[in-house]
Amino acid sequence: MTTPEEKTEYLRFIGLNDQKIQETLKNETLTSLLLEIVHHAKKVVNGLTLEKSSANLLYQTGTKMKSQIKNRLPLLVESVVNKNLTTEPQLTAAFEYLISHPGQDLDIKSFNEYCGVGVVVTPEQIKQTVQDVINEKKCEILEKRYKFPVGSLLGELRKRIKWADGKLVKTELDAQLLTLLGPKVEQDNVKEKKKEEQKPKKSAATEQAEPEKIQSFMELAGEAINFHKPGENYKTEGYVVTDKTMSLLKNHLKETGGKVITRFPPEPNGILHIGHAKAINFNFGYAKHNNGVCYLRFDDTNPEKEEEKYFKGIIEMVDWLGYKPYKITHASDQFDKLYEFAKELIRRNLAYVCHQKNEEIKGHNPPPSPWRERPIEESLKLFEDMRKGKFDEGEITLRMKYTMEDGKQDPVAYRIKYAHHAKTGDKWCIYPTYDFTHCLNDSLENITHSLCTKEFQSRRSAYYWLCNSLDVYCPVQWEYGRLNLNYTVVSKRKLMKLIQEGICNDWDDPRLYTLSALRRKGYPPEAINMFCGKVGVTMAQTTTDISLLESCVRTVLNVTAPRAMAVLEPLRVVIENFPFESKMEIDVPNFPQDESKGTHKVAFDRVVYLDSCDFNENPTDKGYKRLSLTQPVGLRYTGYQLSVKEVVKNADGSVKELIGTCARVGENVKPKGFIQWVSNPVYFEARLYEKLFNHENPEDLKEVPNGWLTDVNKHALKIINNAMVDASVIGSKVFDKFQFERIGYFSVDPNSTEEMMVFNRTVSLKEDHEKK
Amino acid sequence: MDYSSLKSKLDQQNRLIESLEKELTDLDQQRDKLKPNEQLAKLLTEREKLSFRIKILKRSIQEELSKPKSSSAMTSSNSARKLTSKALPPTESKNKYSTSITDTLYSLFDKAIQAEFSEIAEASVVITGSNVADYQCNSAMAICQALKTKGQKVNPNQVAQKIVANIEKNDLIEKTEVSGPGFINIYLSKNFCQTELKKLVMCGAQAPFIGEKKRIVIDFSSPNIAKEMHVGHLRSTIIGESISRLFEYFGHDVLRLNHLGDWGTQFGMLIAHLKDKFPNYSQEMAPIGDLQAFYKESKKRFDEDEQFKKRAYECVVKLQSYDPEIIMGWKLICDVSRKEFEHIYEELGISLIERGESFYQNLMKEVVADFEKENLVTVEDGRKLVFPPGVSIPLTIVKSDGGYTYDTSDLAALKNRLFAEKGDVLLYVIDAGQSVHMQGIFSAGKQIGWIKPCHRIEHVEFGVVLGEDKKKFKTRSGDTVRLKDLLDEGLTRALAKLKEKEREKVLSGEELVAAQKAVAYGCIKYADLSHNRTKEYIFSFEKMLEDKGNTAVYMLYAYTRIRSISRNAGVGSQQLKEYVASNSISLDDPKEWKLAKQILKFPEILIKTLNDLLIHSICDYMYELATVFTEFYDSCYCIEKDRQTGEIKSVNMSRLVLCDSTASVLATCFNLLGLKTLEKM
Repeated sequence: MTTPEEKTEYLRFIGLNDQKIQETLKNETLTSLLLEIVHHAKKVVNGLTLEKSSANLLYQTGTKMKSQIKNRLPLLVESVVNKNLTTEPQLTAAFEYLISHPGQDLDIKSFNEYCGVGVVVTPEQIKQTVQDVINEKKCEILEKRYKFPVGSLLGELRKRIKWADGKLVKTELDAQLLTLLGPKVEQDNVKEKKKEEQKPKKSAATEQAEPEKIQSFMELAGEAINFHKPGENYKTEGYVVTDKTMSLLKNHLKETGGKVITRFPPEPNGILHIGHAKAINFNFGYAKHNNGVCYLRFDDTNPEKEEEKYFKGIIEMVDWLGYKPYKITHASDQFDKLYEFAKELIRRNLAYVCHQKNEEIKGHNPPPSPWRERPIEESLKLFEDMRKGKFDEGEITLRMKYTMEDGKQDPVAYRIKYAHHAKTGDKWCIYPTYDFTHCLNDSLENITHSLCTKEFQSRRSAYYWLCNSLDVYCPVQWEYGRLNLNYTVVSKRKLMKLIQEGICNDWDDPRLYTLSALRRKGYPPEAINMFCGKVGVTMAQTTTDISLLESCVRTVLNVTAPRAMAVLEPLRVVIENFPFESKMEIDVPNFPQDESKGTHKVAFDRVVYLDSCDFNENPTDKGYKRLSLTQPVGLRYTGYQLSVKEVVKNADGSVKELIGTCARVGENVKPKGFIQWVSNPVYFEARLYEKLFNHENPEDLKEVPNGWLTDVNKHALKIINNAMVDASVIGSKVFDKFQFERIGYFSVDPNSTEEMMVFNRTVSLKEDHEKK
Repeated sequence: MDYSSLKSKLDQQNRLIESLEKELTDLDQQRDKLKPNEQLAKLLTEREKLSFRIKILKRSIQEELSKPKSSSAMTSSNSARKLTSKALPPTESKNKYSTSITDTLYSLFDKAIQAEFSEIAEASVVITGSNVADYQCNSAMAICQALKTKGQKVNPNQVAQKIVANIEKNDLIEKTEVSGPGFINIYLSKNFCQTELKKLVMCGAQAPFIGEKKRIVIDFSSPNIAKEMHVGHLRSTIIGESISRLFEYFGHDVLRLNHLGDWGTQFGMLIAHLKDKFPNYSQEMAPIGDLQAFYKESKKRFDEDEQFKKRAYECVVKLQSYDPEIIMGWKLICDVSRKEFEHIYEELGISLIERGESFYQNLMKEVVADFEKENLVTVEDGRKLVFPPGVSIPLTIVKSDGGYTYDTSDLAALKNRLFAEKGDVLLYVIDAGQSVHMQGIFSAGKQIGWIKPCHRIEHVEFGVVLGEDKKKFKTRSGDTVRLKDLLDEGLTRALAKLKEKEREKVLSGEELVAAQKAVAYGCIKYADLSHNRTKEYIFSFEKMLEDKGNTAVYMLYAYTRIRSISRNAGVGSQQLKEYVASNSISLDDPKEWKLAKQILKFPEILIKTLNDLLIHSICDYMYELATVFTEFYDSCYCIEKDRQTGEIKSVNMSRLVLCDSTASVLATCFNLLGLKTLEKM
């Protein structure tokens, strides 16, 4: 089957016209499948031509059939040609049946029954059924006339006379409706106006809007996830079914009890970042939601980079996000088994030892290995010699006889590395590659859903190939879009550079987007999970704006971070007519929108401090609502307003402090605005953060021609040493979070000492934190 | 002191602290700025990788050694390079093999060190003898040093403690103690030594297990036809014989080859001369009495007579084309030489297979083709040369006249021994003067891929023989000393020595001749073998016939004396076997214990010698054994006799066992050296 003429002739056989043939030929996969179909069909018809309807169904088979039932092609073709399957619904039913009945033995009788083979629906039956259905809904139909949704009627009909010809049914329905309603009148053509939904206007009173609910990852993403049930791996598009599949799946179900089993497989060579949070949520979240389990598996096949601190850091972060691994495993736990698998692969003549150097097989179209066909015994012997240390690093590899989707030939399975391994010590000097290890580890752990990012899509078929080549249980690989955040970099190498250059202090510098940095900055894990849920619903590769993450943080902190009052740049005010003899204790609600959550005490004294930006001697803005020489301002929670009596200035003319008076707020005394203040305060160091990069995509050379390192925002960290906060924060622990009213959310930094608390600004209160 | 002065002092101190702290931070910063040396970093990584690989390879060697041969037909092992006894023998015959104590200790400590300090690949195990204890392990210091470079500070004593804690359960070690800066003193278990001695009595002195049996091809003696053998050949013959025996003792398959110089241009003139002198040689036996003289005559003619020279060349051509008549002449000449050689070999107890240069003549063409095929041949002035890597002098494989050279025939021999004979180990016992030539041959063999890492190819070189005047060994008239004459002189001198000691009165006529030969040839061999072969060696009958010190006479005498102890007590070896079967050997007396340990050192000496092929270690060991035995015998009664009657009052069987074990080890040593022992002397 090589010449275009032959191809054209074959395609014409199933009723394609010349134009359609030209189009089809461009799609090689489809063409070859159709050719195969025709090949079978020709055998069945035995020299006769095909009926047009059958030809059409055969074409449908080519375009709609899922790859995992390709082995059933002869049956399908035969059924179509022999007119067992005559309609599209039957064909669809046939697909369904075959997908859910993989394996060798097919019960033809039940197949035929399921597909309605031989069921004849007479025109009389159709007529009668249509009549029945219309009668049942007659009143409504008469009322709504042509606005009645015909689709629901058709649906009902399909249920009742499943195997009737769809076209005939539709024609009959239309005819009977016309008889019932007569031709369309003008009224039928007027489109109904959609009722305008009147959104209730927010009243001032309800401005304290109902706080958004904190939702878990699965609550947000769950609906969009439509994975196969455990044990029904074959129902997934692209899954490869072999002779052994069914018995392997049966055994798999026996071992797992039908539980969902996933795994989070990080390499222990770096720090987890926000991108990993999605993988953690996906794997742990999906398992949890389905009462399954999730492994934390360290993909430690690469011995050179591993450090104990990375293992610890990863475990800590998974825990922080609120997930419990079912078990912590290591890819290296299976090195013995993997080695046996490799030998078995050689024995099956599906792998060989190759002497091509790495440089030789890199790049485009590398030459094929001249060692591909060497004797099995020789490869086995050399592979053992590799293990025994008889070769140099890079001199020799074990390669699999498989060409990947992207054209990469014979991926390497094992290579020599003379390096100590964190787990296996000096037991091995050959280490398996990702391509070899990953699927087999999944298989050994009975993973039901092997979730990974889109980049691995091109390795999916290799994944299936290897499991099937060794006749071991084959999990299903599902890919999801990787999470990219703008205004940041996450690669380990780049983070390292930032630290080396002294731009950032460490892996957990709050300007970074590693998970430990986010924790330090004060991001609650619930917010990160929620964020992952929000972006996770799409399987597409997306870059997400930081603002979405920040809004999740606000949502969570709004209901979890108690209020406190703080001033970043204090301005001393002495209240001359302070109405009390000594300082007052005022009760302040922890959460003004929910008073049931308790109160805390705040001191109110003769000397108060305001934020100096809340005082303006002569504001030009007419909408200015805070303190000026002439305008009083309310002091939150005190019930008093403050007026300026005198401005004490420094030699340079700047404001030193204010002398003021206060008056009780009442019917006649109403300040335009209320501000936060402190009295008898605690000093603290405030660290305010901005984006670390100036451009959205610092790694994009179009945006940043001189390289990402030149895009660093040097003012991303601002430290204020003499900020003040009310005493309610005393005694709080590291990572405790507060809303400093009117300023933002703050979290206690680990650098805090007994003498001086340090707070990180987690996020400002609003997206645009300009004050009105 | 008042408050203010205290305060000012405090301030002063504070300032000092501050300035020091500042200095520290400055220094820290400076250190950070120091550029790391890239090359150093590269080398360090490289070293780390190599050390790691050493560990892997060491383990692989053990793995391969411990694998029964049949199941590993595919694995030709790299480990053949060094033969050690670290692996355990197959269990069914485990009891027969002896145990090398050092090697067993080595592997015990290696495991213990690996268990604790696996990150240090260079953590080599150092086991030595000890004045305090029985053995000593001195690895802790080196490990400490290595840890230090990794930034870990520990003291060697702690390291030693850790090693000791990790030693796995074993029969060998009674106890260990850590002393001083980290020496580990090792005390052997008496129980273990008793078991080993028992084995020795029951099975005789056995070699330790060394894994796979190998094919050894050894080239030694190798004199030239028509020339007399001289002392140089004597050294090669004696050393080669002993090394062959050693390998055979370990159960290896040894092919002993005599690479005779039986081909070449000199045969042209010999045959031409033969034709002139005995024109009828093809019909009648030509009575060449003195081949040496015959050689000289023909050489003279060759140098003086142009016509003769021409005929001589014609004969060479005919010889090379295997002209039947000429071949007959060649054989005749060879036979004369062969007879002389065989006499000497028989006298000295040497066995060899003759495979001279002529054997390789037909293989040389192919060798040249092999090198040409691999593009390794350079043509220079009509000569075909091979430049082996790392060797300064090229090999000439084809002369400008198209003829071949020693280089060619040696390459042909190399190929034949590797492929046709399937040798795993190839040894060439040739004088050190040939080392450049041998290097060239070996290097070319590697270059062309014949020699693989699994092969062990060695030039067992030896130094020249000097006379007592420390000049090249010559007769008074300046001629080369003929070997036959030398042996005869030895016999004469040995007889004189025996008579001097009045042995003829004790020994029968037959016994005296046996003693004469044993002493004469024994002296010559022992004197040669007891010296480090790589050094020059001074040939002196005076010295070798001395009856004190490390000489054959002393050793042979010591041996007969030990043998006679049991005989005098009327105890035979069967009785000793029965005794050890049901009694344990007493090692309570320090002298008994010392002797036992010396006896049990035998296996490790064998292993060492098998690796370095320095036979003198065996002689040193024998001498030490004899010395320790004398100490034992002087202070421990084996047989108690009545002073008056001379009747035997009691026999200490346990001590007789020690005597017998000593004798049995010594006998084995003599046998390995190729010396005949005497029951009476």
